[in-house]
Amino acid sequence: MTDPITKPRNGTKAGRRGEWVLHLALTATAALMVAPFAWQLLTAFKSTGEASQSPPTFWPAAPTGDAFTTFFDSVPVWSQFTVSASALALRVVGQLVVAALAGYAFARLRFPGRTVLFGLFIAMLMVPSQLFLIGQFELIRDFKLLDTIPALAIPGMFSAFGIFLMRQAFMSIPTAYEEAARLDGAGPLRTFAFVMLPMVKPTLGALAVLTSLYSWNDLLWSLIVSPRGDNRPLTVGLAGLQGQYGTDYPTLMAGALVASLPLIVIFLVLQRQFFNGIASSGLKG
Amino acid sequence: MRYDKRWSAAAVAATALVLSACSGGGEDGDVTLTYATWSDDQKPAMEAIAEAFEADHPDIDVEVQVLPWPEYWSTLQVGAAGRTAPDAFWMLADQFPAYAEGGQLLDIAGAVEEAGVDLSAYPESVMDLYDSGDALYGLPKDFDTNGIWFNKALFDAAGVAYPDDTWTWEDTRTAAQELTDADAGVWGIAAPIDRQGGYYNSIYQAGGQVIGDDGKAAIDSPEAVSGIEFWTNMQADGSSPTLQQLSDTEAVQMFMDGKIAMYFSGSFWAQRLYGDEAFRANVGVAPLPTGQQRASMISGILNAGYAGTEHPEELAEFLIFASGEEAAKIQGESGAVLPAYEGTQQTWLDSMPEFDLQVFVDAVEYSVPLPISGNAAEWTGLEGEYLTPAWNGEQSAADAAAAYNAAIDEVLAE
Amino acid sequence: MTAPSARPPARRRRAGGLGPSPLWGYAMIAPAFIGLAALYLWPFAKTFGKSFMDTPAFGPGTWTGLDNYTELLGDGDFWQAFGNSAIYTAILLLGVPIATVLAALIQQIGRGRAVYRVLYFLPVVTLPVAVSMVWRFIYNGDFGLLNWALSLVGIPGQYWVADDAYAIYAIGAVGIWMSLGVNLIILGAGLQSIPPELYEASSMDGAGRVRQFFSITLPLLSPSVFLVTVLTVISALQMFDLVFVMLRSVDNTALDGSKTIVYLFYEKAFVQFDQGYGAAIAVVLLLVIMLATVFQFRVQRRWVFYD
Repeated sequence: MTDPITKPRNGTKAGRRGEWVLHLALTATAALMVAPFAWQLLTAFKSTGEASQSPPTFWPAAPTGDAFTTFFDSVPVWSQFTVSASALALRVVGQLVVAALAGYAFARLRFPGRTVLFGLFIAMLMVPSQLFLIGQFELIRDFKLLDTIPALAIPGMFSAFGIFLMRQAFMSIPTAYEEAARLDGAGPLRTFAFVMLPMVKPTLGALAVLTSLYSWNDLLWSLIVSPRGDNRPLTVGLAGLQGQYGTDYPTLMAGALVASLPLIVIFLVLQRQFFNGIASSGLKG
Repeated sequence: MRYDKRWSAAAVAATALVLSACSGGGEDGDVTLTYATWSDDQKPAMEAIAEAFEADHPDIDVEVQVLPWPEYWSTLQVGAAGRTAPDAFWMLADQFPAYAEGGQLLDIAGAVEEAGVDLSAYPESVMDLYDSGDALYGLPKDFDTNGIWFNKALFDAAGVAYPDDTWTWEDTRTAAQELTDADAGVWGIAAPIDRQGGYYNSIYQAGGQVIGDDGKAAIDSPEAVSGIEFWTNMQADGSSPTLQQLSDTEAVQMFMDGKIAMYFSGSFWAQRLYGDEAFRANVGVAPLPTGQQRASMISGILNAGYAGTEHPEELAEFLIFASGEEAAKIQGESGAVLPAYEGTQQTWLDSMPEFDLQVFVDAVEYSVPLPISGNAAEWTGLEGEYLTPAWNGEQSAADAAAAYNAAIDEVLAE
Repeated sequence: MTAPSARPPARRRRAGGLGPSPLWGYAMIAPAFIGLAALYLWPFAKTFGKSFMDTPAFGPGTWTGLDNYTELLGDGDFWQAFGNSAIYTAILLLGVPIATVLAALIQQIGRGRAVYRVLYFLPVVTLPVAVSMVWRFIYNGDFGLLNWALSLVGIPGQYWVADDAYAIYAIGAVGIWMSLGVNLIILGAGLQSIPPELYEASSMDGAGRVRQFFSITLPLLSPSVFLVTVLTVISALQMFDLVFVMLRSVDNTALDGSKTIVYLFYEKAFVQFDQGYGAAIAVVLLLVIMLATVFQFRVQRRWVFYD
């Protein structure tokens, strides 16, 4: 990334000293942000007794993997992981298709009622999601989708935020490209699919990461739509752990770590695309 | 176009995942019953019961599922309201009235009569909890009574004699003070606001009631107040961790960490305490102390069925089986809980010979059904709000009880 | 929000005659609209209807008009929950200036931006259930990390999430921690659109970094700050999971004094079988959120700078 702002100063002595101070401040705050994770990691390798000692020990006195064993013994990690991953994949794909189409229409196509409809979508952002719970459940039930992966994924495909994000992204693209495509004889669908869509790829990627987050973290909905318990995601296993092990912190920390890990890895791998995607989405008010 | 490849690879992987997870339905023609529970500890026993039932009924498949406790009731409620509840599920007394009166539970009175089930095989006080006149909405699976779990090592260290069946309230309070060693971070007793294991017991031991015979709250009577004071006094003595400490760390965890010498609670902890092999040898059990009289709350889980099930006959059969003698023995042997069926309790006692679990069986004799009335889930939910000041010493037990009494009556009047 | 930077050209019906007729627009929003109508508008309408009914645990309700709402206004629990949500929202708003300053600092450094962004974003990526478990542990009054750290500097410890005098503040701190990453991204995007020439010019005038922050960064960033503020208020007023997971797992004495509006809704509708009353709570919350948002749009012209 080029850095237009600091470049002129980088060469000067004062600039370099200033940079030091900045790094110091940022590192200190970052340490605060990361401390809970570090503590989680350290605790996962302690014994239950050691974890509840006062004053606390920093390094595990006798590092043990018992907490992980307990977690893997009591939670069907692999099958729940598969459920979580499938629901995530389905939801992300659905969300991208729905949001890209609608976002493009709202950004670029003219049709009566556009503003009102868009306002309706945005208004839904303000409604607490718990309010939809029962109605959504009844719909999934009536379509005989209970206990299926689609049941976990479907409501999340229709997010007003996704549509908003995609609309912003499409709006930031100069109209010249569409005009050129149109002059070449391309219809709106082709223009959308082959000209416009490739240009908002970073935003699509960012939306995919955000949707993955929401999907992976969903708890209450997953429980409600799997009454038979056939398809339960990893969050459910983790929540159950809390009920079973109460305040056995090493086991809880180990479980929390394992359950969060896949997403943290996805994020670390895609983080550059993610941040660039958000930055280029025109999400700046 | 590096991106394209990556995305299409992801799409293929996604599709494969979805397909693999969607497939795998059951065979046609067979009946599948789901059985919802909330305890991972008891899952093996429940699965063994399901297997035993399937052996007798090859055409029926029983699926045991464990829901996390914090979401159990909301999940069940949405399921029942949406006509998709599990076929069989565990029911508790305070939730029972709403489901029974709402017509959500399968009446198995006919099937029970036909099968010749002897209802006297179940503890009367547990049957009373789920009394619905002529209808019968399930059978008790287990029951739990209360006793004193104590840490022998802490008693030995303080030179205090172990609790036994001669103990009175005064003995408890004195011992709790002697056992407390603030410097070592050890308390004599845990005194949380605990209905089932705590203050309901002492209210009845004092001769009081929570809900009176007239159906109104009776928690402000002098007897009931003295039952509450049993606990608030020990909080005032400093013999217990504060409510805040007990919120941060559950009492049972503190007990297992060796920070609490006595924990008044239910038989249902036996399996967990026994499971900690290092700690097992330190654990003792004694009956609750005597006040004006002996008393212990009794409660039990009901194996209930969903009225909207597609297979009412098979479900009734399963419910009868799951609460029957064979299932009771399986439960007892696993050590999970004290089975409700008469004559099977010995299996549970034998599963943990080092513990004197007879205490809990003996307690049935003087047990009192957990008080349930009206929208119990709502008024028990107010307990913390009204009683916390008494436990914290900010208000007298009498004043707190009077305020709570009025609040309960208000809920009951609705 | 930004006005569309450019509109579709007026000369629509050219080149092949297949210009975007309004039908294309409807076709493309159709999937989204069907989903919105079936999964959001319809459930919402149902809940709205229920708020005027007395609903038994199971079965149909009976129409009671405004009873639920009048009961709500006299319900001390509701006002307490309302107060808690307001406190939580206020705390989360404190996170906005923190995020603004941090975003500006990150923008100033030459190398290592990506590292900081990732570190600040980590809490967002972590399961809320997991986050709550970790923080409960850190906040533990007897052996938590926080009290130990405070004891090093001589500050007495507290039972942060077991005492209702502190619980909502302790949860608010976690809320800031969790939301910082998202806020930084939005603000970072805004910062990148500020023309660097402005800084160069003011540097030549001898302006220091602090002065530049107030005279250039803040005004030009104000649309982003506004967006972050609006989103923060909406999500803070809807907060549910942190209370649910951090305070509910054991019989917590702090829970009664620390419920938020959505928690109260959950409790009424899903624990105490009173969906009508719960629905009324949700509707009132929605009104509050809408009022708060409209209010913010009203006052934005006093402080938001659009070029």
